[in-house]
Amino acid sequence: MKQVIEGSHAVSEAVRLAKVQVMSAYPITPQTHIVEALSEYCADGTMNARFLCVESEHSAMAAVIGASSAGVRTFTATSSQGLALMHELLHWAAAARLPIVMAEVNRALAPGWNIWMDQTDSLAQRDTGWIQLYCEDGQEVLDTTLQAYRLAEAINLPVMVVMDAFFLSHTFEPVDVPDQELVDRFLPPFSPRIEINTSDPFAIGQMAPPNVYMEMRHDIQKAMELVPGIFTGVEQEFTKIFSRTYGPVEKVLCNDAEIIMVVTGTAASTCREVISDLRSKDEKVGMLKLKMFRPFPTDLIREYLGRAKKIAVVDRNFSFGASGIFAQEIRAALCNNNTHPPVFGYIAGLGGRDVTPEILSEIYWKTKNSPILENESVWVGLLD
Amino acid sequence: MAAKQKHAEQIPLFISRSNISTEINKTGSWRFVRPKYHEKTAPCSAACPAGEDIARIEMLSNQGRYSDALKTILLENPFPSVCGRVCFHPCETVCNRAGLDDPVAIHDLERFIGDTADGDELKLTPKKLPENGKTVCIVGAGPSGLSAGYFLSQLGYVCDIYEAQSEPGGILRWGIPGYRLPNAVVASEIRRIINFGVKIICNTPVTQDFLEKAKVRYHAFFIGCGYGRSLKMNIPGENMALDGLEFLNSLRDGKIEPINGTAAVIGGGNTAIDVARSLVRLGAAATLIYRRRKQDMPAFKAEVEMAVKEGVKIKELFSPIRIKEDAGEYVLSLQLMKTSDMKTDGGRVRVIPDGKAIRHLRVQKIFTAIGAEPSASWQFPPGEHTGTLHLSHCTLTGNNPPFLYGGDLTNPIKSVTDAIASGKQAAMAIDIFFNQGRHAVENGLSFCLVGKGPALSMERYMGGKRSVRDSHIVSYGDINIDYFSMAGRVKTASIEVNHRIRSFDEIEATFTISQAMEETRRCFNCGICNACDNCRIFCPEIAVILQDSERRINLDYCKGCGICVFECPRNAMGLEEES
Repeated sequence: MKQVIEGSHAVSEAVRLAKVQVMSAYPITPQTHIVEALSEYCADGTMNARFLCVESEHSAMAAVIGASSAGVRTFTATSSQGLALMHELLHWAAAARLPIVMAEVNRALAPGWNIWMDQTDSLAQRDTGWIQLYCEDGQEVLDTTLQAYRLAEAINLPVMVVMDAFFLSHTFEPVDVPDQELVDRFLPPFSPRIEINTSDPFAIGQMAPPNVYMEMRHDIQKAMELVPGIFTGVEQEFTKIFSRTYGPVEKVLCNDAEIIMVVTGTAASTCREVISDLRSKDEKVGMLKLKMFRPFPTDLIREYLGRAKKIAVVDRNFSFGASGIFAQEIRAALCNNNTHPPVFGYIAGLGGRDVTPEILSEIYWKTKNSPILENESVWVGLLD
Repeated sequence: MAAKQKHAEQIPLFISRSNISTEINKTGSWRFVRPKYHEKTAPCSAACPAGEDIARIEMLSNQGRYSDALKTILLENPFPSVCGRVCFHPCETVCNRAGLDDPVAIHDLERFIGDTADGDELKLTPKKLPENGKTVCIVGAGPSGLSAGYFLSQLGYVCDIYEAQSEPGGILRWGIPGYRLPNAVVASEIRRIINFGVKIICNTPVTQDFLEKAKVRYHAFFIGCGYGRSLKMNIPGENMALDGLEFLNSLRDGKIEPINGTAAVIGGGNTAIDVARSLVRLGAAATLIYRRRKQDMPAFKAEVEMAVKEGVKIKELFSPIRIKEDAGEYVLSLQLMKTSDMKTDGGRVRVIPDGKAIRHLRVQKIFTAIGAEPSASWQFPPGEHTGTLHLSHCTLTGNNPPFLYGGDLTNPIKSVTDAIASGKQAAMAIDIFFNQGRHAVENGLSFCLVGKGPALSMERYMGGKRSVRDSHIVSYGDINIDYFSMAGRVKTASIEVNHRIRSFDEIEATFTISQAMEETRRCFNCGICNACDNCRIFCPEIAVILQDSERRINLDYCKGCGICVFECPRNAMGLEEES
């Protein structure tokens, strides 16, 4: 049934429907609404789950690592500083191969203090071994959370469902909150491959000397390489039940496009309007919405972007001393391809600044009118 | 794109995992410091003249084990219901809880336990040693004499207490007014002492002659007569004033008759306050005359405040110089005084006459309560001379038989609890005297000190669990405050001022069970284990073993991280270096 709910609560509803058994979180704006609703569900008996209150995000992740090791379905959510504080345990969760699902609301890092949209927090965690899925709207974030459990539990890797601060987390939209029965058909109870048990005790996570460590890491990568295929399979099953599909990437009018704009998150919705407007003026423009960032969908990137003349990447993030992070990854994916169009990197909308249709149009025209690439990144919309 | 989903077994999942027990890894070998259960002394117990194990008493009450709590008190003090009412509670002054919010209401809790706990009396009172064939003559059935008898009985002595009055109790029975200490409370606690085996012979004033003859029958003597005779002012017309102590005695004897009009009470001690407050209850308008300042009064501050609340007027810096009769009333002439730069031997500011100004106060009755002295010279403890042993709360003289002097006459503070301490110290001193000889008395007592003393513990003397407790007094800084949250002190119900001045009914009520529970929860239980289990819960090596309610450290695995010691909220553990 469709309900008008905010993006945060779309996540909470998905977690409820996924029958998560243990949750632990520490409040931080703009994530708090997600776990606020879940703690109420635990308190009023809507969910048969334990909500562990902890003193920090580091402990929240530690708590769900413990619970997940015991073979139960887990959830946590965080943002920005909280995610940064979790960093050590993000590595642990992935290398311990625990299918934890976390909602991460993209928020800028301090100082100066800023609670608004910025992707640098989640992208700074790209090497931790977590699967990262970026969402565009309330429906997608609900659906992706449900899919995340199927994916995580199939591959034994943790999944981060990423969403924009406020533009998504605090925006009310009509969202189809599916019936429990349908969700149960899609998402069966968790049958763990790792489950510590007091009646058959064993130890996990202990010393791994040089003769085994590399193989363990190689296994994580082998698992990561299987993710796109498994994700597609999960989506197909999801589509059969719910008639909705997203894909690891979504291409819009890319087939004959000369310039393809690469966007993520809620900016994709704005970009859809912009390219439709440009197409009406006979501009050969397309859009690629990047949903899956880890594992990076190199094959799809090569297939869809390799044919264009120019690529314009919109990054709401920045790696200091280098460039926008999505642009870097796309350049890296294309450089060994037969065709590698120039990648124009644009930095926009940091710290909650709006990425308006005007900004995206400006990016398009700049890309079209620049014969050569002058800078790895162009900062758009800076005040004089 | 391949849409086929792999079977779970095909997903690579190589992780560290082992079914071999980690018990082989004896992390205890890493250790260079080792934790130990190490109980320490709570400040309250060290400040209590009777050395009560307060931290443990509050722990037991909090567990609802009121009889065990009472038993624990009775190891050190036979008068919980009395002390819960009249003790000046130095324990609360040093309570660590004050660092967080307010001190624990220890005296209210002691009264609650004394009034509430019940059970077989013989099971509540301490175990007695078998009779050793020695008899002790105790003179005076006040708190010190009764305590000496109680503790000596415990140690196997047969005791006879001789009392001049018709009933035992001394100041408890005859001096303290009923609104502070009801007769029934005194009677019930004395009955317990009698049931414990102490013989009290009333209506028998002791004389020097009697003592001489008694030396044949008794192996030791305890003299605890207190102050029986009021001091004189030595001013003209003094014989027209009434004696405050006698007045209080007559009230306790049941002679309660209305007194109308005005009355002056001369003095600044607890007796003067008791007289003034009693007068108010009988209907008189009482004015207290004190030659020093209000803050110099030896009476307990709380008592002075209550007196003022009940309508007693205080005239400070006035010294009586004459009493004259005038038309059936009395005129009290008063010299105005002022403070000087000099101090008395006791450290109080000396006051001197302020010019020649004389004031006159016309009243219908005058009472004196300026202090008291022993009623016979033989009751005085001997002064400094060879062969006399001056202990903190009693004086030992003579060898055959030994004479112990105790009570108010030897005590540093003239309080009921100090009198109890005196009786206890005398009992221990007599026992050491007979078992090890006179030379061993001081050293023997030093093993029984609570903290750094002077309070003594009979439980320690008997070789109980307190013997192993460290004398380190737990400070606020030793407490892990993370485990406590602010909670105000529970206040007991009390009668409104307007009502209390109409009768001798007790002003304050005993705690209810729920009040007592709330208040005992506030106690930090400084220095003692209350089985909170933090040490076991937090041990990262699961090296704390709980067996038969006792905790011990498994040194095979304890790596000496010290987390248990740090997380102990009450400093009942310690770390020591490995040797």
